[in-house]
Amino acid sequence: MIARMARLLLRGVADLGRNPLAQALTLCAVTLTAFLAGLFLLLLVNLNQALLSAGGDFVFQVYWAPGTPEDALRDQWARLDALPGFQAKTTYTPAQALDELGLALGGEAKAIGGLTGGALPPTAVVSLRAPEADPAVFVQQTLSALQGLPGVADIHYSALQVDLARSWQRFARTVLWPLIGLLGFTAALVVGNTVRLSLAGRRDEVDILRLVGAGRWYIQLPLLVGGAVQGLAGGALALGLLALAHLALADLAATPPLNMTFAFLPLGHCLALAGGMALAGALASLVALRE
Amino acid sequence: MDTTPEPMVRVQHVSHNFGAHWALRNVTFSLGKGGFLFLCGPSGAGKTTLLRLLHGALPLGRGAAEVAGFQLKGLSGARVPLLRRQVSVVFQDFRILPGRSVADNVALPLEVRAVPRATVRKRVNAVLRSLGLDDKALCPCSWLSGGEQQRVAIARAIVVNPQLLLADEPTGNLDRALALHLMEIFKQFNTFGTTIILATHNRDVMAAVPGARHLELTDGRVTAASWRDADLEVAPAEPEDGPARPKPGGRR
Ligand SMILES: Nc1ncnc2c1ncn2[C@@H]1O[C@H](COP(=O)(O)OP(=O)(O)O)[C@@H](O)[C@H]1O
Ligand SMILES: [Mg+2]
Repeated sequence: MIARMARLLLRGVADLGRNPLAQALTLCAVTLTAFLAGLFLLLLVNLNQALLSAGGDFVFQVYWAPGTPEDALRDQWARLDALPGFQAKTTYTPAQALDELGLALGGEAKAIGGLTGGALPPTAVVSLRAPEADPAVFVQQTLSALQGLPGVADIHYSALQVDLARSWQRFARTVLWPLIGLLGFTAALVVGNTVRLSLAGRRDEVDILRLVGAGRWYIQLPLLVGGAVQGLAGGALALGLLALAHLALADLAATPPLNMTFAFLPLGHCLALAGGMALAGALASLVALRE
Repeated sequence: MDTTPEPMVRVQHVSHNFGAHWALRNVTFSLGKGGFLFLCGPSGAGKTTLLRLLHGALPLGRGAAEVAGFQLKGLSGARVPLLRRQVSVVFQDFRILPGRSVADNVALPLEVRAVPRATVRKRVNAVLRSLGLDDKALCPCSWLSGGEQQRVAIARAIVVNPQLLLADEPTGNLDRALALHLMEIFKQFNTFGTTIILATHNRDVMAAVPGARHLELTDGRVTAASWRDADLEVAPAEPEDGPARPKPGGRR
């Protein structure tokens, strides 16, 4: 029984060799479809990674109310080091701020100092690196921590990164993943239809097998295996092409001004691509026989 | 030979239509195990249609039929292969795989039945030898002449020692000498127990099997038979005033 099964499975593969030209054409179509789908996925995965995974560096400018006692300030500034993701900080007392301003403005500093010296707030500029998790949450947490410090009057931060990540996530959820699903479905349809057509050429063979008393599985199993093998081979070839494309793209991405690392598809995606093609091929062989 | 103790084929009030055209009309006959029946009649009489019904290639609509113990009425798709393992068919148009070798084609029904390979080789060689095809065993069938292809089709049908052999004009592409040789082979199989129904309109072929029964179809109707029994109905001659409608079958 098992030997017979194995023989039928092998026959499915061997039968592919009977019509090399037709099989080669089918394989080409399957490979190209899988390659295009894979390329789209590859670009998307990297875009996604660039936008989401690097939580990014955030710079918070914290202003205290003018007249906050200096020793309270020093105490709070010391505590900034304990913020999660802390990288660096620069602090200015009103006098230091004035000096900085003076340096920047050159000779006119004295005049300005005379006018506004007392009005400059104590300031801290804190650089933080968001952890891998959602940067928006990180920003919220940091904000509330900073606002909790006594005497803090105002906080500015660079919001661009957060907004981008947020809107990308929304876009991905509402548009992109459904689109990917549709693309996968289309690829499966193309592959399935191609395999089905290549089986139409073997209609006579199937009819004859039926007429000499072949049972359902005797006919179906080899075709199923043949379809699956075609899908799998096409998927594997497409992954090979993708690897080549990835090499070229990674080189391109690594050169200035992009300086990006360009990742290959994660293993799960690769398996899903090859498996999906194999499944489409196998299902197509089932459908082809039912017609 | 003329008594029918246990029928191999029993056809009762079978009618079959293709659209508005009735290819078989109220056909009733039976054939015992080990019998040899010639199905004759002009082209278009319904011979092929009857043979197709008998191996489940057409669904049985009106009437009832039993072949090799299988009730054809409502025969499920899963049981058709079982029927076909008892019934071999030689088709008018051969139905062989042109790209495969003669031996491969003949081996097909044995492989379908999971016969061990050594046995397959032995049986295929024996059958090819008896049909004078042993020197062509490895040729692709597309290289063969019409007559040779017909012999391949016959070899494929008899290689399994079927209970019932249906042959649709099996000598159509053969010259007279070869046709008569083939009839000898059929006769031999028949003496070994295979029941045979052979559609032909070749008188020489029919004369080669003197003991056989004859059933004549005309325009889908049984119009003559070489024997009489309770399971046989021969239609009266066609009335002059237009074609008769088929009787509703199987309800007596
Ligand atoms: N598949 C079909 N579709 C429509 N008509 C058919 C079909 N097969 C046979 N017929 C018709 O049924 C009649 C009997 O055909 P057939 O059984 O092939 O006759 P025979 O084999 O005796 O020459 C013919 O008139 C033929 O045209
Ligand atoms: Mg015919």
